[in-house]
Amino acid sequence: MMNLSRSVALISLFLLPLLSFSFSVDSPTDRRVLVLLDDLSLKSSHSIFFNTLKSRGFDLDFKLAEDSKLALQRYGQYLYDGLIIFAPSTERLGGSLDSKSIADFVDSGRDLILSADTSASDLIRGIATECGVDFDEDSSAMVIDHTSFSVSDVDGDHTLIAADDLVKSDVLLGKTKIEAPVLFKGVAHSLNPTNNLVLKVLSASPSAYSANPSSKLSNPPQLTGSAISLVSVMQARNNARVVISGSLQLFSDRLFRSGVQKAGSPNNYEKSGNEQFATELSKWVFHERGHLKAGSLVHHRVGETDEPAIYRIKDDLEFSVEIFEWSGKSWEPYVADDVQVQFYMMSPYVLKTLSTDKKGLFHTSFKVPDVYGVFQFKVEYEKLGYTTLSLSKQIPVRPYRHNEYERFIPTAYPYYGACFTTMAGFFVFSFVYLYHK
Amino acid sequence: MMARSLVRFLVLILAVAICGAASVYSPISDSHRSAAQDVFVPVDGSYKSLEEAYEALKTLEILGIDKKSHVSSVTCENVVKVLGSSSSTLKDAFYALSVNGILKCKTGEDVPKDIVSRLQGVVKDAKLLLDFYYSVRGLLLVKEQFSGTDLSLGDAEAIFHSIKALSQSDGKWRYSSNNPESSTFAAGLAFETLAGVISLAPSDIDQSLIQTLKTGILKLFDSIEKYDDGTLYFDESQGPISTTASVIRGLTAFAASGSTELNLPGDKIVGLAKFFLGVGIPGDAKDFFNQIDALACLEDNRFSVPLILSLPSTVISLTKKEPLKVKVSTVLGSKAPALSVKLTQAISSKTKASSVIKNQELKFDADSATYFLDSFPTSFDIGKYTFVFEILLDDSASEKAYITEAQTEVPIAVTGAISIENAEIAVLDSDVGSVESQKKLDLTKDGTVSLSANHLQKLRLSFQLSSPIGHVFKPHQAFLKLKHESQVEHIFLVKTSGKKAELVLDFLGLVEKLYYLSGKYEIQLTIGDVSMENSLLRNIGHIELDLPERPEKASLPPLRSADPYTRYEPKAEIYHIFRVPEKLPAKQLSLVFLGLIVLPFVAFLIGLMQLGVNVKNFPSSVGPATSALLFHGGIGAVLLLYVLFWLKASFSKPILLKITSTFCIKNLILIILIPPQLDLFTTLKALSLLGVFLLFVGHRTLSHLASATNKLKSA
Repeated sequence: MMNLSRSVALISLFLLPLLSFSFSVDSPTDRRVLVLLDDLSLKSSHSIFFNTLKSRGFDLDFKLAEDSKLALQRYGQYLYDGLIIFAPSTERLGGSLDSKSIADFVDSGRDLILSADTSASDLIRGIATECGVDFDEDSSAMVIDHTSFSVSDVDGDHTLIAADDLVKSDVLLGKTKIEAPVLFKGVAHSLNPTNNLVLKVLSASPSAYSANPSSKLSNPPQLTGSAISLVSVMQARNNARVVISGSLQLFSDRLFRSGVQKAGSPNNYEKSGNEQFATELSKWVFHERGHLKAGSLVHHRVGETDEPAIYRIKDDLEFSVEIFEWSGKSWEPYVADDVQVQFYMMSPYVLKTLSTDKKGLFHTSFKVPDVYGVFQFKVEYEKLGYTTLSLSKQIPVRPYRHNEYERFIPTAYPYYGACFTTMAGFFVFSFVYLYHK
Repeated sequence: MMARSLVRFLVLILAVAICGAASVYSPISDSHRSAAQDVFVPVDGSYKSLEEAYEALKTLEILGIDKKSHVSSVTCENVVKVLGSSSSTLKDAFYALSVNGILKCKTGEDVPKDIVSRLQGVVKDAKLLLDFYYSVRGLLLVKEQFSGTDLSLGDAEAIFHSIKALSQSDGKWRYSSNNPESSTFAAGLAFETLAGVISLAPSDIDQSLIQTLKTGILKLFDSIEKYDDGTLYFDESQGPISTTASVIRGLTAFAASGSTELNLPGDKIVGLAKFFLGVGIPGDAKDFFNQIDALACLEDNRFSVPLILSLPSTVISLTKKEPLKVKVSTVLGSKAPALSVKLTQAISSKTKASSVIKNQELKFDADSATYFLDSFPTSFDIGKYTFVFEILLDDSASEKAYITEAQTEVPIAVTGAISIENAEIAVLDSDVGSVESQKKLDLTKDGTVSLSANHLQKLRLSFQLSSPIGHVFKPHQAFLKLKHESQVEHIFLVKTSGKKAELVLDFLGLVEKLYYLSGKYEIQLTIGDVSMENSLLRNIGHIELDLPERPEKASLPPLRSADPYTRYEPKAEIYHIFRVPEKLPAKQLSLVFLGLIVLPFVAFLIGLMQLGVNVKNFPSSVGPATSALLFHGGIGAVLLLYVLFWLKASFSKPILLKITSTFCIKNLILIILIPPQLDLFTTLKALSLLGVFLLFVGHRTLSHLASATNKLKSA
């Protein structure tokens, strides 16, 4: 399975330039989303979530997951830019769709929201595994938490979790802090430790565990504590984004509207954090936030404006690059203080943090090292939630020419003096020797 | 198709059942009202169509939200336009009349005559069920809204027959005589239409016709879908909500118009009501309308109004001494008639058979309109129960008008504080079982126990849990977690046997599982249960384990995901360390040594002076003197060439000339000859020329000197 996902990632890397991206820098506003449901009533019970997407300009196409006319592509062209699978119980997708075609869809740089639930089907588990997320194998298991459940859990099962362990990232969850806990009821998953593209967005509390609430435990549960992920995201190397949730109800109108009070906590919130959480996360997954675009790398000697063909060792140079972020409507200057440039030959010789003018331009200056060879300017920007920038530009560096060294060395003055006094002595001596009487 | 949609719907119900209380249905409440305001939002002061306007206004009216003024002006304009125009469709006209019924745009004597005559025309020669529906219901609306009109339906029985002709033997109806497909949804429309015909008919309709219709209705109920907890619904391609709502509208309209009673079994009515309440709050406007409208029909019908028993909370806390509260109301949440609620049984999920509480009547609190049970028997322990309630109506009149479920089963969770006693942790010696070190634990706060053990020893943790009435309590979650410094975690279950919950970890058998990782392990204890109010997660302290070395073949500890925060942190800056230039002596030192080097030359010159050196031997005659001058000039030129060759790289040509011009004029001639590039080859060339010249003048000078010496000797 690991090999598969690795090869998928590898293939996607090779195909990168060949495929048209769902999120194209030229027409980032063109967004068609296929929504697969296992019951059309979900359209009504999860309407707030879908309506926020519609109001942000997404063109949602609702289909039953078993619809025999389902197709993601026609004549080799993808019909959709995003996919929402809210069909936890579907064993087989209709039409030509299967877990492989969904993996291909993601490999083409398109986005996916996948939601499982208790008794999620093997198909849904399979798609999640491809993305580096493993759902609890016990199909009757749910996340149970006896200390941070929601008081409004009328069942008294402690399976309606009030989770507030959110990832600290503005780009994933927006600048406004999510104050109220997020209500969650569903199945636990864990992240594949070998996959470093996937990360937890919403984690369970240390006292949570994943088990069947109605039967006694005979073995220790596989997933416990904060190793349990409730909602995870994955950003592939081709910047395709995936959200995987263990609870379909997290997106439902009922939990969106529900108030929340965490057990043992005096804070009673009128509205759960679900709506804000789901909306902000959907902004991220559909590239309305955190998608970066960089201009070309610009460099020149200090005091010059043209890019030289070669640098000499110990030259002073200036380096700059422009970076912009997509805001959902336009490209805005990106502001950060952790963009770094490397001057690289086999390993970085210089690694400097760039300073920004807050208008999207990042710049710095440094001295070329006294090692010659073919160097590269490298900007490899990886930040939690942001798309990865990987830019490089090659430039050779030469040593001093023979006439670029120091000409008269003070230390050698005695040698110079010895030579010239000998010559002068010889000249005088020749007179004395020849004409003395 | 049927089976598949059933499966789909079961999923919905399951979802509802999981998220809502298993079978506790609460009536329409304020959450519905606030949701309705979000769902029915007019765009620019009106709704897209009159149909939507009707649905929105009707729903808001039922829920008691007054939003009419916001939309009335624009919507009324539409209504008046549609009613005034002769080209508007039948459907539009029907919905315009429906909206008019709510907004009262046009009232009184001002009858829209065109519409009435059109509707009457359509009724007479309609073939399609929908045409009948719109026209008959339309006429009924006109009758309700405008007084003093002549609304003769013509031959009501003939119309009744032509509608009845569309019915099928299984109680369903067809949309038209050409279309063989029958539908439950159409059946609902047909009942409504026929109810309209009955109320519009100038004289009573033949009872036998109505009787056959009633049997049709009962047949239709044979196709009803059922869910385990008694929820009933009709399903079809339109979806269960609109299909069921259509049937309910038809039934209630028929019951309202009919001169005879409709005998529907009570549990069917309650089952349908439970279906709509179980749906929750639909996000779709159409579903929302259908849900609320159907519930309103049930609330306000002629046969029997369903009463719903609901519980604000299905969790009873024994520590808080909260009473068990039960509310009884109609589906829309209005007050129920005088009645009493009896708790007939309370069955514990553990001991299935016997009931803890039997036939206890609940007290009534008139202020909050709740029934409550505040005292429980002493043997009432924490756990999960199924309570069975019965509603008994006080007077027989309301017994006819209202209908209740025979028995309502409600799952109840009873919680309480669990006392934890005799908690202790100990390290034992394996072979003899003697206690090495034993510590008492206070589990009300985090502890700082510090233990150490090797692989031949055992760790024992034990505690006693008892419920409020002193029974042994077995929690669902009792985990001991050992967490190594390298974040590797191990979970062990603490099992309860007898009175004591005990866990013994024999490290000898666990070394493999612990991956031979020695070092500090943090100990964390989690005890939790659904019924336990004081569920806890405590750090007890730590244990220092001394385990044997890891053999080569043993498995490695599992990988752990990298921490996302540190993974994406910016890297440390790298500065290139430049090669340090070689250390050179100070310039002064070089100058001192330069002086020392020049000293011998000075001493040489002084020595020559002291010796009284002269140049008297210099040839006096012109010829030899010239050649001697040229010879020494040549030597000087060679030396100067060396100097220039050394200097050339650092000076450009003009500077060269400038410097040399300060030299003697004689050398100037030579300087001009110097080509701009004074490299090794031009220097050697110049040197060879000078050499030949020197050979010649040197020979002449030396031979002259030799002959002069010889003359001197011979003389």
